[in-house]
Amino acid sequence: MWLIYALGGGWGHLTRAVALASVAQVDRPVRVLTNSAYASLIAAAMPALDVVMLNPCAQAELTRRAVQRVIAECRPECLVVDTFPRGIGGELAGVLGRLDATKVLVHRDLNPRYVTSAGLREFVTANYDLVLVPGAGEGLELGDLPITVATTPWLVRSADQLPDRSAVRSVLRLSPCDDACILVCASGNKDELDWYGAVYSAIRELNGAAPVRVVSAERPPSCAEEHSICYWPAMDLFGCASVVVGGAGYNIVRECAAWGVPLVAKPWPRMYDRQELRARNAGAHARSTIAHAPEAAAKSALEHFERSVPEPPRFVNGAIDAVRLVARFRSN
Amino acid sequence: MTPPLPPGWKCTRRVGFLFPHDCQRTTPVGCPDCQNGAIDDPYRSCSDRYGYDYYDDYDNSYFLGYAYPLVAGPDVPYDSSMEFTEADGADLVKPDEEFENDMTGS
Repeated sequence: MWLIYALGGGWGHLTRAVALASVAQVDRPVRVLTNSAYASLIAAAMPALDVVMLNPCAQAELTRRAVQRVIAECRPECLVVDTFPRGIGGELAGVLGRLDATKVLVHRDLNPRYVTSAGLREFVTANYDLVLVPGAGEGLELGDLPITVATTPWLVRSADQLPDRSAVRSVLRLSPCDDACILVCASGNKDELDWYGAVYSAIRELNGAAPVRVVSAERPPSCAEEHSICYWPAMDLFGCASVVVGGAGYNIVRECAAWGVPLVAKPWPRMYDRQELRARNAGAHARSTIAHAPEAAAKSALEHFERSVPEPPRFVNGAIDAVRLVARFRSN
Repeated sequence: MTPPLPPGWKCTRRVGFLFPHDCQRTTPVGCPDCQNGAIDDPYRSCSDRYGYDYYDDYDNSYFLGYAYPLVAGPDVPYDSSMEFTEADGADLVKPDEEFENDMTGS
């Protein structure tokens, strides 16, 4: 069995793990370990997935012990660790050396201060067999290690798995005269929901005729019920979005780039992830802009808004390559 | 003896005269704060203040009546709560990031 460690807040770690697990589980059993507050929503959308959900509100020490217990009970032949080489609470540090498994690190961007203070370069070199960088720009800290391999971005859907446009129109409840909308993806942490609600209100105030939808786990208080969608994965809906407003986390930036849909990104402060850096890099290569104030985001979204829809995307899902790389490494 | 250091190593101990901050030296050899890496956190045990033995000796007699009017204005009476204490340091620096403590970080 492959065990994918995907602890961490928000949607991102789990979504990336699901992208990998969806491909990997075709040929072997895969289990995903998470403490995301959104785990039950994702598990409901992916019933074939084996997900172990830890309480996101549990005390750190309880979570550390639970992680160690799950690894001991699972006895994986391959442990894939997302983002945090030592575990998000350092709980893997004493485990990896004793674990008889192929150890793979998924190297999303990491705060260089943490990399230095925790001695991660030395730790990864000593404890991991393979480091995978899921897309250019993510592997700035450990990308030069000899065990590192980069792939194209990992996405939770491959291009041929995306739903057709009529199904998306129905999910978004678009009127017959609207082919596309402004899609506000209110992901991230719950305390950031108000910002997205303010963007929605500002768009409505600036142009009441522009169709706008908010996709989120929880409806922002200021968002009209008929414009609020609870749906995962949001990238399914981008086929009817002429512009997306969101954060600058790994998934939304990569998904928008894959679709070729403009992103108005609000980089949120994170302890480990440098969203501002990712947003700036995205802006250099794709149709992405940065906005900090809700009003600025609303104006930018309206500038990008057209009633046309993006062309069907033709991206290559890096998760397929990643599974192939891990499998090949294990067979050598 | 100091063990070999990896390339790009920077000291993560806290140092400082009044307020703690990252050391960032590239070697502990000859470091007056950690004494060649012998002290884990020099700030915790720092007592000499680099020889400024009277750094906190600024009572009325020291300033001869000049300092307080300059700070508080001529009509404001002296109040001992206006003095800096060691505890003020914590308010004047950004606290160290506490990595690996927040299990919902990202």
